[in-house]
Amino acid sequence: MTAMNDAIIFENVSKFYGEVLGVNRVTLNIPPGVTTLVGPNGSGKTTLMNLMTGLVQPSSGHVSVLGLTHVDADRFFRQVGYCTQFDSFPRRLTGWQFLLDSLLLHGMSEGDALRLADEALQRVRLGNAASHRIESYSKGMRQKIRLAQAIAHHPHVLVLDEPLNGLDPMARAESLGLFQELSRLGMHLVISSHILDEVDRISDRVVLITGGYIVAEGDIHQVRREVRDKPMQVLIRCDQPELLASRMFTSNHCVEARLHADGKGVFLRTADVDEFYRLLNQIAVEGLVTIEAVAPADDDTLAIYQYLIGSDGSPS
Amino acid sequence: MSVYKHAYSAYTGRLTPLWSRVVVVVRYAVEEALSSRITIGLFTLSMLPVFVYMVGIYLANNTLARTLVLHRNPVFEIDARYFLNVLETQCWIALGIAGWIAPRLVSFDLADNALPILLSHPVSRFGYVLGKFIALFACLSPVTWLPCLLLFAYQGYSSAQPWFVTNLRIAGGLLAGSLLWIAFLSILGLALSSWVKWRVVATGAIFAVVFVPAGIGGIITGVLRTKWGFLLNVPVMMTQLWQRFLGEPEVMRADLHLPTVAILIVLTLACAICVMMLNARIRGREVVRG
Repeated sequence: MTAMNDAIIFENVSKFYGEVLGVNRVTLNIPPGVTTLVGPNGSGKTTLMNLMTGLVQPSSGHVSVLGLTHVDADRFFRQVGYCTQFDSFPRRLTGWQFLLDSLLLHGMSEGDALRLADEALQRVRLGNAASHRIESYSKGMRQKIRLAQAIAHHPHVLVLDEPLNGLDPMARAESLGLFQELSRLGMHLVISSHILDEVDRISDRVVLITGGYIVAEGDIHQVRREVRDKPMQVLIRCDQPELLASRMFTSNHCVEARLHADGKGVFLRTADVDEFYRLLNQIAVEGLVTIEAVAPADDDTLAIYQYLIGSDGSPS
Repeated sequence: MSVYKHAYSAYTGRLTPLWSRVVVVVRYAVEEALSSRITIGLFTLSMLPVFVYMVGIYLANNTLARTLVLHRNPVFEIDARYFLNVLETQCWIALGIAGWIAPRLVSFDLADNALPILLSHPVSRFGYVLGKFIALFACLSPVTWLPCLLLFAYQGYSSAQPWFVTNLRIAGGLLAGSLLWIAFLSILGLALSSWVKWRVVATGAIFAVVFVPAGIGGIITGVLRTKWGFLLNVPVMMTQLWQRFLGEPEVMRADLHLPTVAILIVLTLACAICVMMLNARIRGREVVRG
């Protein structure tokens, strides 16, 4: 596989459902790793996922996944695994039958299908529940069997729509661990999730979408740096936070200071992060205060979501 | 950033041919159809008329029984009329069974939103519908052409040898009439089921589409004094078609006979509409709520 087609590519893609806008003029190049789709309900996340899984075709533009399009269905669907958002199982099947039928639909021989189904079940740790009907599964088990179905045929692209919904903290941690492992093996993982703080930990990049338009995309820290109209917040743990805050306020890029609840740190907001760190270095060298730790406090997905999309779902 | 080891290995084994993926859909659909006890009950009931007709053939071909029980009653002459009755009985039972099974095959998948998962496999929308069609067609076969031909074979076996050879047209008519009807029922059942998520309503819709236009056609025929109103009347159209297939004289007045071509055009048009309905509804996209 060449480097050029080792990506999911959207070229000026628009999708309309009649007069309803799904997504508009989306241009994306998603390399391997974990990419998180973030946006309010109805923003176009699922449409993007349906487009990259070949379930819907663009009204205009072009989508290719690792250089393949849905026209070459056999090769395309072998590369793509889709874990849908909602319960969407054919009735009366056990988890095992569901996986087996899925693999047979992918064109695996019965022997291979049995082996791969077993492997996928072990990967998601569903255990003996696989022999029970899916109707009897808890929400978390349904998520697991959906995930097993998506990874069972060894795809290179895994599209996961809200894969953490309904999982308890342990299962969520297990799933995140699995996503991380698959990503490190060179897979593409495209995840939409509302549990931003947890997905944040494994995300390599984020795509923010609202109203069918891409608002921002890229490495989360890079995106945060480009949101220049929102002063950046930095947490500094030190022995004299009040003194540090007063000193920082001598330069006019510092716009807000808030003491940490334990009194051993201060949150500072700055409009010029480069100048801020230069001044902080100077203070540290002067020995005025003893600085224990410095960490950005708002360059995570949640903060960027709030800055760029806002709580009402409209771009701010 | 992640460190990419590129150690994830894709499946490199041999793949089965594309048609075998459709077989998976067929197998799943047949299992779904037969999973209900009511379906089994309906199949059992559908065999009762076959049993009665089989007894009729036995009595008609047994000299002693003919003399003692039937007193040479002409009702039990085994001819094209007799097999027309068999065909009509079984075909209308097939309508009932299609009304029960078809919604199970499609409405459930739509109600459960199962299409995105099914269609994110290398099976196309056409493959999905074809699989369901084959499953429904296969389920209706044991009710229609299979018992009809078995009864014909039994009659051929029981009667004197020339009967079988001289009445081969009946066998052809039974086969053609049954296949046409169950193909029409299958596509109609799937199309209507794809538009109605509630199974019971879908069953009602299948019956309504067959019988409501028949009433309207009857009104048109009565008011306008034209035979063309019968083109909305599926029972009349099919009866005329079956009579012609079996070479049985038609019971309706000659001026009410519809041309075979017109009947076939109407059935083809109805099937085309069904295909369009399926094309509009069988989509892989996930419905986004909230």
